[in-house]
Amino acid sequence: MFSLKKERKKPVIATASMSDIGFLLLIFIMLISLMNQKYEEKIEYTEAKQIEKTEAEENLEIWIRRDGAISIEGDYISLEYLEALIAASVTQDPMVRIHIIADRNTPYKYVDQAVKILQKLQHRVVSFVVREEL
Amino acid sequence: MKLQPRRRSFDDPGSSGSLNDLSFLLIIFFIVIAGFNTTKGFLVTLPDTSRPRLVHQEDLMRCTLQSTGAIILDGKEVSLNELSTMVGAKRNAYPNMTFLLVINAETKYQYVIDIIHEIRRLDVENFSFRMEDNVQS
Repeated sequence: MFSLKKERKKPVIATASMSDIGFLLLIFIMLISLMNQKYEEKIEYTEAKQIEKTEAEENLEIWIRRDGAISIEGDYISLEYLEALIAASVTQDPMVRIHIIADRNTPYKYVDQAVKILQKLQHRVVSFVVREEL
Repeated sequence: MKLQPRRRSFDDPGSSGSLNDLSFLLIIFFIVIAGFNTTKGFLVTLPDTSRPRLVHQEDLMRCTLQSTGAIILDGKEVSLNELSTMVGAKRNAYPNMTFLLVINAETKYQYVIDIIHEIRRLDVENFSFRMEDNVQS
């Protein structure tokens, strides 16, 4: 006697397009992380061989160009405004880490202006940002 | 002799062989990105202007950094290596030594960083710096 019952195929989950999905995901994450990049001023970094990680949970980056122009997150600011901004940041979070990122050819007098403000506000720990020398 | 034609293997619709490569690329990408975003440098404690510290004369090592990058120690120009040797010797003789760096206003920032780097490398705990023509320390 013949069996007329149709043989059922085993169910298969097609994953052939997974590679395409993965690739698209990769592109998406790359673009998102590029968008979230930190503000960078075009400066020539100072270099040193032995440096330490100075990043904290809350950070405030002060960029100083070689002509003495000071900027924070892309906005060029005066010394008075810098003082107000640091005071506000420290009041909000006393553990905020202040980073000074200056061009290697910046005359020290411009860096000293920022240092003096920090001393005036009694915020005595500062990070001098340096790029690792290769 | 009868040669059998080679059978071509057909693509399995359930294959996910390239996913390994993709996940590997993804990991590499994240490692690189994580490395880019960390801020590195020197953590410096600024001198307290309201409470100046008293330092014994023999514990003090005063160094001047000129605008040209020249390092003046005890009235004599020294190289960075010589400074390093002299600071090391002084620290061995006086473990509580204080290194005071007086920086000319026009000195390039990189020269200042070079000195800070040497001081850090030598583990000098008491390090103070100020700009020239400035009364406060």
